[in-house]
Amino acid sequence: MVHGTTAELADDLATNGSARSRGFWRALLASPSGMIGLAIVGLLVFSALAAPLLAPFDPLRMAAGPRLDPPSAAHWMGTDDFGRDVLSRIIYGARLTLQIGVIAVGISLTCGLLLGLVAGYSSGWTERILMRLVDVLFSFTEIVIALACLAIFGVGLTNAMIAIGIASIPFYARVTHSVVLVEKGKPYFEAAIAAGAGHGRLIFLHLLPNVIPTLIVIGTLGVSTAVLAAAGLSFLGLGAQPPQPEWGFMLSSSRDLISRAPWMMIFPGLAIAITVLGFNLLGDGVREALDPRQRQR
Amino acid sequence: MEIRLLRDVWRPPVLGAALAGTMALGGACATAQELVWARYGDIDSLDPHRATSTLSMQVWDQIYDTLLAFDMDGNPQPNLASGNEASEDGLVYTFTLNEGIMCHDGTPFDANDVKFTIDRAFGDTPSLTKTSWGPISDVTVVDDLTVQVTLESKFGAFLPFLADSFSSMVCDTNTADTFGSSTAIGSGPFKLVEWVKGDEIVLDANPDFKNFGKPVENAGPPMFDRLIVRTVPEPQTRLAALRTGEVQIAEPPFDDIEAIKSEGELDIVVADNTGQNVFWEFTISRPPFDDIRARQAVAYATDAQMAIDIIYGGLSQREWCPIARGVFGNDQEFCKQFGYEYNPEKAMELLAEMGFGPDNPLETTMFVWTGGNRHKLAEIFQAQLAQVGIKAAIEIMDIGTMNARVKEQNESPDDPSPGTFDMMTWSWYDPDILYQLWHSPGAYSGFQTPELDAMLEETRTTIEPEARLEKVQAVIQYLMENAAHVGLYTPGWEWVFAVRPEVEGFKIGPFLHPIFLDVTLEEG
Amino acid sequence: MARFILQRLMAALVTIWIATIAVTILIHLVPGDPVRIMYGSFQTTPEELEAIRVRLGLDQPIWRQYLMYLGRLLHGDFGNSIVGDQPVIDILMTRFPSTLALTLSSLFIAVVVGMSLGFLAAYKRGTWVDVSAMVLAIVGVSMPHFWLGLLLLFLFALQLQWLPVAGGDWRSLILPALTLGLANAAVLARLTRSAMIDIFDQDFVRTAHAKGLPKSIVLYRHALRSGLVPVVSMLGLQFAYLMGGAIVVENVFAWNGVGRLAIEAVFARDYPLIQGFILFFAIIVALASVVIDVAYAFLDPRIRYS
Repeated sequence: MVHGTTAELADDLATNGSARSRGFWRALLASPSGMIGLAIVGLLVFSALAAPLLAPFDPLRMAAGPRLDPPSAAHWMGTDDFGRDVLSRIIYGARLTLQIGVIAVGISLTCGLLLGLVAGYSSGWTERILMRLVDVLFSFTEIVIALACLAIFGVGLTNAMIAIGIASIPFYARVTHSVVLVEKGKPYFEAAIAAGAGHGRLIFLHLLPNVIPTLIVIGTLGVSTAVLAAAGLSFLGLGAQPPQPEWGFMLSSSRDLISRAPWMMIFPGLAIAITVLGFNLLGDGVREALDPRQRQR
Repeated sequence: MEIRLLRDVWRPPVLGAALAGTMALGGACATAQELVWARYGDIDSLDPHRATSTLSMQVWDQIYDTLLAFDMDGNPQPNLASGNEASEDGLVYTFTLNEGIMCHDGTPFDANDVKFTIDRAFGDTPSLTKTSWGPISDVTVVDDLTVQVTLESKFGAFLPFLADSFSSMVCDTNTADTFGSSTAIGSGPFKLVEWVKGDEIVLDANPDFKNFGKPVENAGPPMFDRLIVRTVPEPQTRLAALRTGEVQIAEPPFDDIEAIKSEGELDIVVADNTGQNVFWEFTISRPPFDDIRARQAVAYATDAQMAIDIIYGGLSQREWCPIARGVFGNDQEFCKQFGYEYNPEKAMELLAEMGFGPDNPLETTMFVWTGGNRHKLAEIFQAQLAQVGIKAAIEIMDIGTMNARVKEQNESPDDPSPGTFDMMTWSWYDPDILYQLWHSPGAYSGFQTPELDAMLEETRTTIEPEARLEKVQAVIQYLMENAAHVGLYTPGWEWVFAVRPEVEGFKIGPFLHPIFLDVTLEEG
Repeated sequence: MARFILQRLMAALVTIWIATIAVTILIHLVPGDPVRIMYGSFQTTPEELEAIRVRLGLDQPIWRQYLMYLGRLLHGDFGNSIVGDQPVIDILMTRFPSTLALTLSSLFIAVVVGMSLGFLAAYKRGTWVDVSAMVLAIVGVSMPHFWLGLLLLFLFALQLQWLPVAGGDWRSLILPALTLGLANAAVLARLTRSAMIDIFDQDFVRTAHAKGLPKSIVLYRHALRSGLVPVVSMLGLQFAYLMGGAIVVENVFAWNGVGRLAIEAVFARDYPLIQGFILFFAIIVALASVVIDVAYAFLDPRIRYS
């Protein structure tokens, strides 16, 4: 729910978003944050894909070990109050986390891009009204919009993903809009208009390609926000429902047992923090790789 | 004894009760004695007609009093009313009130207050539990201390109801808009000082209180000055606060109870005879639970004993009946004959008959309400059901929401999504709860048949105990054979208390009414 | 200046106005009949539901409902909660001081810790101080508040028993404020650092240096003041985030504010309370942003005319 990392970048990116570097991947791997981020995200994707191979137990199997068993050789991260293996649940949890990231960001990216493009391209009253609306929604903050959505749809992980996706639309719309404004002011765009390019051509050939690099950056950072938000909602009981091995939900069920079984609180928290860190670093890395000016700092 | 006498003699007109208490105690005790009772949630309202939660009810018990009171066996005894008389036809009840009872605002408690309360329960915004009052048609004030209640038809559960907190007597001076949210005038052992919503309810001892019928020794006012009922949602936090002495009484985390017992620092008090019943009920108006086999399959696939052993470790019991132990009509042996003992094979057979199998699981949703580790119990049930091929999603919600959602489900027979089932909970002092749940239109518009309606009516109009027992048991058998109300366990919520050693005399009456009248606080 | 303030106030009013429309629509987006969803508890009869429908005007066309709602709002009537049937505005107002105390104290922590860290990092750019400050900041940004909260609770309240846990006095504010403050300090640290770096690179600071002015004076008179401007401009947003973050943190520590209330309301499907909360939140955030914008304009007069 902290949109800080992304918020602080918005304007910055708007002016530099179009910068493209030939050696993107080389640049990404050259930056320490990019590399660490990529490694963490890679690990997450790998555990999500290979969960059945990696997990020593079925994540839903009760009495896989004694109840509330501390970490041991048999259960590296201990067991929970149903005797389920915490490590296996964390590994399977990666699937849900990835799903949350992709779906939530997918929704906000698509809708935000569309809104921002329309507003930025159309100008005049349409723009003013749309952006005013976006600004208002933005000031509500994401968690309140997400709460409102959940109050409407009802609780659950899928609904939480959608709610988070909707809640972030204003942010993506804002960024897209500002990038579009910058692009529209550039000489090549005016030249294209002068050459008689149609709306479709202007939008898809000129604006869109220049918006995309920026959106890749904020999308990557946005995954971290979405993961954090979904974990928060699940923690509050509004997201994942039992027996889903969702990390935020696991944290919330650890609360009653915090002194009996601190491992139930420590590992899911670490998993969320590392994942979010991974996407934040990767986002920073991508930004640096796309924008040489940033790299010099 | 001496102290109480002093208080009665020397009562400053302006100063509050707390001050009066301490001053009367003289040098023995320099500061007001406070008891902090921490609970997981707040009350919904101070108005006994505007809420149904146990949390609310337990606070009403302190502020208000009732015409009758339950003894430890759960039988109604005289309390505010020193006596009652029923007419020959069982339709007119005459209550005589005790003399000298005062409302917290200094007005005497009399027949007008009784009339005010009952009229209010049937008024424009009636009591949420209006039907439990019975078919009252008229209340007449005969004189200051005599009141007559007329019923339309005979009602076997009328007297026990008058001992329950839902019948709390509200003084007729509660006419302000703020009644229920910031003011509440009763005649109970404590008076309201302040309700800081979501945080705490501050109650001061009522020096005028006289106990006529509550099953404790103290016949006078409470023996400490102030009761603070505080909301502390997290069990671990409550335990920590108990240990540091910030809180004197609280529900502990279930997984720590063994450790608390072996440490011996805190006492564990378990309420008996709570009247609580946790049970399965189903959306019978549409598939899959319109088919009795689906309901039976759930019942057979549930191993309640195993689940409560894991989650509550011996603090709760398997309950076979649709009404709890200690309630009239409960008989484990009788109910067990119609019960569904854990039998996963049988469940799978029934499901197979319906065309469900491993590749085609029966999909449904289980509603559960928050708190008391019920969500954990539900998670075990979910795993048990999965083993026979029932795929149940869990939805956790507030009890008020669950009440509304269950009704909504029952009233939507055309909804294309699969029907739901739920872990419903009711605490009641009389089998009349079955009438309220299942007599049409019913609390939740659930399972109803004309046959059942007729049987339930008989449980109300039959007063003579032996005959009534027969009627009640016929209903129990019917509900169980139809797998409409499948008992799981008892008790199930807010019945375990950890108490600090300086608190002496904390007692929980039947049906989970905590009584603080005998409580004394040791210094230090 | 007056015109500027007026302009900002108008913008805030527009925000609030849009919020009123949004909350009116909200209840109609919930699938099903709003009256039954809200008031259809057990033992309510269809007649009672109809009476409620008429009383609340929910039988009217939606635009009428909106006007009625607006009319009630102007009289300070936010409706009554479903749970306990009490005025929503009273419930919100009794809980709001707690949230404000939490938000302001965490804002204070965030500003003090975040800005010093960011300033230090910028000042020592490229050194290990910078690197470790920024590593700390990104870890801070990535840490879920609720987890940080649980860790602090576990350590300080349950294990060490340094702080009271069951509420009541100001000491119970320490942990929630730290949790929320530290998480947002990380954001401010990153912001401050990049703002300060921009300033350090600007000509006037370099010139001041070249003229041989003492470093402290350069820092104080030139760099800090201009560096603060973009950071202060973010405070409005920060305040909104803190208010949002408070929702989660209040639930971790059972802090008795509007955030915990909001979650309880969602669980209880108490729509009048949810509507009231959203509107209330919008009003607070809009007013706070006016205050911060005006403060910002004092700090940087150029902004007024842009």
